[in-house]
Amino acid sequence: MSLEYLLYPGCVASVRELGYEVSMRKVFEALDIGLEQSNDFNCCMPACLVHSFDYTRGLALTSRNLCIADEFDMPMLTLCSSCFGNLSRAKYLLDTNDDLRRDVNGILRQVGKEYRSGVKIEQVITALYNDYTIKRLKDRIRNPLEGIKAAPFYGCHIFLPSRYTKFDDSEFPQKLDSLIKVTGAESVDYHEKTSCCIGCGSFFGEISEKAAAILAEMILDSASKQGTDCVITSCPFCIMQLEMGQIRLKSEKGVDYRMPVMHYVDLLGLSMGLEPKELGLDIRRSDMTPLLEKINPP
Amino acid sequence: MVTSRELLGRLIDEKKLTYCENCGMCTASCPLARAIPETYNPRILLQRVIFDLDELIKSEEFWLCAWCYKCTERCPQGIQPTEIFLLTRNLAVERGYIPANPRAIMQEIVRSGRSIPVFEDFDDWREDYGLPPIGPTISEEALEEQRKIMGEEFLRRLRT
Repeated sequence: MSLEYLLYPGCVASVRELGYEVSMRKVFEALDIGLEQSNDFNCCMPACLVHSFDYTRGLALTSRNLCIADEFDMPMLTLCSSCFGNLSRAKYLLDTNDDLRRDVNGILRQVGKEYRSGVKIEQVITALYNDYTIKRLKDRIRNPLEGIKAAPFYGCHIFLPSRYTKFDDSEFPQKLDSLIKVTGAESVDYHEKTSCCIGCGSFFGEISEKAAAILAEMILDSASKQGTDCVITSCPFCIMQLEMGQIRLKSEKGVDYRMPVMHYVDLLGLSMGLEPKELGLDIRRSDMTPLLEKINPP
Repeated sequence: MVTSRELLGRLIDEKKLTYCENCGMCTASCPLARAIPETYNPRILLQRVIFDLDELIKSEEFWLCAWCYKCTERCPQGIQPTEIFLLTRNLAVERGYIPANPRAIMQEIVRSGRSIPVFEDFDDWREDYGLPPIGPTISEEALEEQRKIMGEEFLRRLRT
């Protein structure tokens, strides 16, 4: 059974985290998962921002993307958990509230669109877990990452709130851990596994950056104490926040965690035997050298 | 079209706000309350939505919520602080209280269709890494539809 998705690129991955986009495309190609493109999408319209200005019109703007996926008659695939959260939220609210759906469709009608339920929304992680499945991933591992300690960092919108995303247990998520174990790496248990990078609220300049650095320190400190080789995220926004946090901690407090932060597809790609350069690992903020040398001793 | 106030009642059931028992589960779960407790406390914000709404919407702190939804997931009374804060921001915007940073990002979304600006020759950079072009803005058609969906009132609020 071959899988195919309509790719929803989002802004963080396609503008700020190109290395991750390179990696994700390479890994999906190697897994024979098809990706269709559309240049008709608009922004997922971050709820914390656009829906703050106008709740109903914000929902209509987000739902416009669901209408496009409906026209393609394909499941959507987001690169970013924030897009996944926004689109899943819109779908949940419209599917469960007839009044809201009527209002939103009243607005969408002005641009010749109508929201109909039934669009399937996946994120890179949920697609690998739900659709590709752990069982099939196991067959693709060529270079098991034995001896590597990888700390899963779930991020929020992949599984919260559970009523919108329906992906994992809301208090004790395990699916990213399971995906990490497939690669042969050890999945590290640590206190901050389900903490938050606050990337999605990071638009208040200094106070947001300060709060993000405090959280990044808690997360990195907790992971480091377990002898972690790399932090594995499900979301490009978490990568960006944890990397920028490290840069700030180094310059302000002289604390250098030197912790490689990467997306799960990076780890998966390495375990499938793909080259670091093919996975865009040479264009990251983190220095991946110590990790790569531990995986493939020079 | 319904007002934000009516939406608050329709989506959340405004009565339920008074079900808050002040247990503090929201604050205990909140990443921002951990990082900057002197500035951000969702339990107190929720109390102010009930008792001090008119003053609350003039402040900037309730805009800091990063909508991680941990409070909403855990509230033993089923109150949804995350969605309530979104609706509260709607009330603030209706009355003209829009902090500078959210306004600037919204203006970028109106201009380019993206929350992160893309410089003119960004696609050259993407091409170097073998990635398909995304354009300096979303497509003209998508921008036009976006403007229509936002509507005059929405765009006017951003300009003033």
